[in-house]
Amino acid sequence: MVFAWKSAGLSYNRYLAIASRVVRRSLKEDKRIIAERRGETDLRFAKWSNGKMGESKNLVDANTSGMASQAGSSSS
Amino acid sequence: MLSRAARPALRAGAVAAAIPARTAQNAATYATLREIEGRLKSIRNIEKITKTMKIVASTKLTRAQRAMTDAQKYGSASNEVYDAAETKALESEGKKPLYVICSSDKGLCGGVHSGLSRWVRRTIPQGSADLVIIGEKARSQLGRTNGNDIVLNFAGIGKNVPTFADAQAIADQIVQLQTQYSGIKILYNKFVNATSYEPTIIDAFSEEAIAASPNFSAFEVDEELIPNMREYALANSLYWALAEGHACEISARRNAMDNASKNAGEMIGKYQILYNRTRQAVITGELVEIITGATASADM
Repeated sequence: MVFAWKSAGLSYNRYLAIASRVVRRSLKEDKRIIAERRGETDLRFAKWSNGKMGESKNLVDANTSGMASQAGSSSS
Repeated sequence: MLSRAARPALRAGAVAAAIPARTAQNAATYATLREIEGRLKSIRNIEKITKTMKIVASTKLTRAQRAMTDAQKYGSASNEVYDAAETKALESEGKKPLYVICSSDKGLCGGVHSGLSRWVRRTIPQGSADLVIIGEKARSQLGRTNGNDIVLNFAGIGKNVPTFADAQAIADQIVQLQTQYSGIKILYNKFVNATSYEPTIIDAFSEEAIAASPNFSAFEVDEELIPNMREYALANSLYWALAEGHACEISARRNAMDNASKNAGEMIGKYQILYNRTRQAVITGELVEIITGATASADM
């Protein structure tokens, strides 16, 4: 069984996040505003190496770009 | 910030007993009177702030608790599979476990964060496991002692009730880690009741552990689907841990602020009495001076 999203380099969680975002956006106006608040994230993260904290980055952006680069490497 | 502001006031409380002795010799009694007044005012302001924070925490608490009960169902439902399959964490063959510590960014909530850090320092010897830290507070506490074990840290949690999107994003980033771990353990504060909480572990198993569990064949799941399930279960467990940790933090903050307001109230009482006494003493002193002056001039 091969999934289209898997070969595109998305993880299952990312796939779910995108699917749920689509569902939320297609709701009616009043319900949509409440539902979209549940999909917000404002996380930052930093990688550590040898006890030093690295650069702090926005998590959502990093995830999207990380997936994109994975997709590029797997397709080529 | 507040805690730092409150500290001089606390110290002032200890000094308070020494003040009257000094005023007796000191000619400038008015200055100390004004000093006491200033301190009273600052303590009153602190009390106001802590009271407001308590009210804010109380209103947030109901929401946080509701989110917690929902998330608990979520997490336990997803762990049902592992219970039925009797999945056990594999004994590591040279692989480290990964600990995910769910704290948050904000302080002023008693020992919530330091409880987690202390648990980590006590139970995990340095170098034996890698750490992923969620929240600034635990990061600054553990960064000093276990800095070498930290591989990732997340910030920006704890402003609101954690969302599932938060948990998913974190799970994604953890899954992307290059190192192979024997298993992921999520450390969070379990909500026992409104006043007590204890650091607890949720297991998130590795793919091999899931595949090796004795009753797993009963589910008739394709091998290829296991990574997906594992990722999803990790997000579920993280969401559970984050939501419960959040509820603990809010309730701990409510209690801490309640105590702080109570202490401030006590201090205000003490200072008020001290203030009144000093004022009386000043008035009496002045009266004595006037009367002695009057009698002396009457005799002339």
